[in-house]
Amino acid sequence: MSTQPRPLPQPSPWSAPYWEAARQRRFVIQACRACDRPIMYPRKFCPHCLGDDLEFRPSAGTGEIYTVTTQVAGPPSGFADALPYVIAVIRLDEGVQLMSNIVGDDRERARIGDRVRVDFETAGDGETVLPVFRLARAEGRAR
Amino acid sequence: MKRVTSAVVGIGEVPSGKFPDRSELDAALTVCREAILDAGLGPRDIDVVLPVGALASSHWNVDLVFSRLTEELGMLRSAKMNCQVMAGGATSSSALAVADALIASGQARRVLVVHSDAVGSLPKQRGIDLFATTGVSEEWEAPYGHNMNAVGALATARYMHETGTTEEELASVCVSLRKWAALNPNAMYRTPLTIEEVLGSKMIATPLRSRHCNMLADGAAAFVVAPAKDAPSLTKTPVYVRGHGSLVTHYSMSQDTDLARLGFVEAGRAAYAESGLGAGDIQLAAIYDAYPVWPLIALDGLGLCAGERAGAFVAAGETSPGGSLPMTTNGGMLSMGHTGVGGGIAVLVEGVRQLMGKAGPRQVENLVNAVETASGGTWMDSHVTVLSREAA
Ligand SMILES: [Zn+2]
Repeated sequence: MSTQPRPLPQPSPWSAPYWEAARQRRFVIQACRACDRPIMYPRKFCPHCLGDDLEFRPSAGTGEIYTVTTQVAGPPSGFADALPYVIAVIRLDEGVQLMSNIVGDDRERARIGDRVRVDFETAGDGETVLPVFRLARAEGRAR
Repeated sequence: MKRVTSAVVGIGEVPSGKFPDRSELDAALTVCREAILDAGLGPRDIDVVLPVGALASSHWNVDLVFSRLTEELGMLRSAKMNCQVMAGGATSSSALAVADALIASGQARRVLVVHSDAVGSLPKQRGIDLFATTGVSEEWEAPYGHNMNAVGALATARYMHETGTTEEELASVCVSLRKWAALNPNAMYRTPLTIEEVLGSKMIATPLRSRHCNMLADGAAAFVVAPAKDAPSLTKTPVYVRGHGSLVTHYSMSQDTDLARLGFVEAGRAAYAESGLGAGDIQLAAIYDAYPVWPLIALDGLGLCAGERAGAFVAAGETSPGGSLPMTTNGGMLSMGHTGVGGGIAVLVEGVRQLMGKAGPRQVENLVNAVETASGGTWMDSHVTVLSREAA
């Protein structure tokens, strides 16, 4: 089963700009022009006002870890070779949340409240680029 | 306070575990027969069948949707409706709420809710992969290796961070459930478990070890719901549906902003208000588990720990046999086995069984009121039902 490839995101018409930005190593957050609120993950309609006038705005991709786990065993198909890998929910400074991986040699030291910054990793097919996060050194380790 | 309109009047169940030679149909027919007879009814008394969604075999699930049980059990041209109810692990509370509403509106008089599935007989990796799709976003979470053990781990990490719950306290939930399972012949794991064994077991997804994680099991259970006014003529031990509350907090867990609490405070408040009862009136908790953190979140939210943190309360033995608040006395999914959607049905049926006084060696004495909880997918929703031997 470990030969099975990792699942890759299949962009929707409204999320495609997010993934295209990631391919260019830019991190963007969807926002609603009508109510001016940030939206993560990208939606077809604004979840606050159901507006359909949505855009993508550049983001610094910084935030803190809301919760985190290191997967050590029993992964889903496609992830056996990645063990141990770190899954986190990140609360971005814009106030929205997303799931991602914490990457880097120090990934297993990631703790709740640590500051993180976005980075990008090319996934299996070489075409898809996933936003991932790294511990922001000075701030994260000072705690 | 809500006027009480329905009662559970019959239950049925088969043992949970690995039963590769027992088909889903075989188990479903057995538990339906048991529940219908327990309610003092015959098949043609049932007017609505609510089969719960099954996960292991799509063909079996299609059979459930398309009235197979209605035909196999002799309900043709008497049953008015066969309609699937499905909310994952929350189907227990959800189906009971639907049955209660159908009865309250006069649409139904005898409702049969049935679950039968064989997720325990799936190859191990298929089981992991199946539950890596149930409430996990294909686009936003699966590419990062998210899976059901990580769901439990991420919530546990946040809960421990916010509450100061210790690893020993977390492990004590598994130990408490195992003590009850030792008294339950239908449970999958019945040998005693210690805190040391839990903490010494293999790490899976920090901070969860293998003994913190449920095992998939084959299983089936059923119950019959009838109008409250008819209930005393059907059974000596009707269990009245006194109140229900619930709240949906997410689809993908990365969107939940309060993983240490979910929606149990709000759901509990609504259920208590409907029932006219409060935390002090509850003598037994039938709490949906699957991972040890979820009962702790529910106990906290429902105010059932006498002002203590739930972790300290469980570690002190209060939820174990002989404790002040017997909890999930079938052993929960951690010891009885995770039968898919049916884990919650088994928890609900156990709460009813205790209130009916039919729990055998694990019967809790002097019971009047109990709470039941459930949650589906990646704990997308928080359900609380208040059940009672008393109609008012
Ligand atoms: Zn808007």
